[in-house]
Amino acid sequence: MAVADVRAEELVVIVNRAAPPLSKEQIADLYLGRTDDFTPIDQVVGSEIYVEFYKKVTGRDSAQIKAIWSRLVFTDRGVAPKQLPNSAAVKKAVAANPKSVGYIEKSAVDSSIKVVLAVD
Amino acid sequence: MVLKVKPTAAAAMLALVTVVGHAENTIDTLDRYVTFGGFGTLGVVHSDYSQADFIANVVQPRGVEFRSWSATPDSDLGAQAKVTLTDSLSGVLQVLSREDANGQWKPTVEWANLQYQVSADLKVRVGRMVLPTYQYSDTQYVGYSLPWVRIPIEIAYTDAGLHSDGLDVLYRVKTGSLTQNLQLQWGRTMVDLPGVEFTSAPATVAVFSDTLQYGDASLRLVYQKYSSSGNPSVQLRVTGAGLTYDPGAWFVTADSNYSQDKFFGDLFAWYVSAGVRLGHVSPYAIYSTTHAQSVGTSGLRALGNEHTVTAGVRWDFAKNLDTKLQLQQVTIDSVDDPASFADLSPRVRVGDKANVLSLTLDFVF
Repeated sequence: MAVADVRAEELVVIVNRAAPPLSKEQIADLYLGRTDDFTPIDQVVGSEIYVEFYKKVTGRDSAQIKAIWSRLVFTDRGVAPKQLPNSAAVKKAVAANPKSVGYIEKSAVDSSIKVVLAVD
Repeated sequence: MVLKVKPTAAAAMLALVTVVGHAENTIDTLDRYVTFGGFGTLGVVHSDYSQADFIANVVQPRGVEFRSWSATPDSDLGAQAKVTLTDSLSGVLQVLSREDANGQWKPTVEWANLQYQVSADLKVRVGRMVLPTYQYSDTQYVGYSLPWVRIPIEIAYTDAGLHSDGLDVLYRVKTGSLTQNLQLQWGRTMVDLPGVEFTSAPATVAVFSDTLQYGDASLRLVYQKYSSSGNPSVQLRVTGAGLTYDPGAWFVTADSNYSQDKFFGDLFAWYVSAGVRLGHVSPYAIYSTTHAQSVGTSGLRALGNEHTVTAGVRWDFAKNLDTKLQLQQVTIDSVDDPASFADLSPRVRVGDKANVLSLTLDFVF
């Protein structure tokens, strides 16, 4: 997988082409379970792109994210983001659902989805 | 009518939900509709106080004795199943095993409810829910989700009810960047305190809370009314406010509540805590206290009075695992049932100090 070669400047947050733009704060709120207007989609927990995304967009590491979602899951107030195996799968899911948000390598961007945030 | 959900009934309910889910033929794969999870803590605690047992929770009948180690206060094991029926209907069952008021480890049903999503911002739950009386109270046994070994016991001193069987309404209001999570819970609860027979009567409990989230800051306001028809009757009102700021690299959190009851009198409890995250290691400190504000008809003075200084460190040493080391000094400010202790000897004195060391391993899956 190309995931292993991800560098910070190559990460982008994507939404469906029909979706409105999202700010960095709105994206962080979605991935931290504070809001649920969109369905956040994860890459493999602990993968480089996962770690980079959470560090840059939420300021948190994998353990903190697990702790935050544990509070939501074990009070049945939320379901942790679904994990998909790679950027191609994330792109496909986002293209199919106008209410979803995901993150992929910049090099994987094509016209099937819309970039709302470039993470540097 | 007492809406008491028995473990067997809850299991049957979830089994039914699963069957109905199949019947609707909306299932692609089972794991998309049924999710399992679990959590637990293995902990040992040591106390150097010779005149009483240190406890971690007010319902525990016994704790750590003088100069001994005990796994009782913090160890627990929980498991959860969630069944998603449709986009708007789901069910959850959570079972927990930890030492209860009878000194047994019999698993209890903590959560067993059906949830219906009425609209994007409105959810209604029917069944059993854990009470959201103070910050972290509804996940206090999920050690992995806490920055500390356990919630400061002082804040929970008057919170005898653990869960309620009834109705829960969750409503989210968004105003720009501010999100308010309103929660109204009403139900019946059965309180079971060690050696306190009058609280084992059924009680009605109503909780209203508003959690205001603005980015990394959250303010939580709560009002809980608890009415037991036992003898003597208890009409306990708890009013609380908590504040947390957690930008990721560090956190501060504080919580407080004022409890009022004719029999017990009024009590005021609060804590403040801060911590930093240095890679996988997160040191923290807590100051916590509870003090009686008036004498109730029970005649007990200074019920629960104590204050605690705590320092500890959390280490996330592996995926879904953490270990915590915590040292605390509890100072007894009254001989009338100081919050952290059980099995008091007549030689307990105001000003006595207990040094307590806790070591835990938390896991979540």
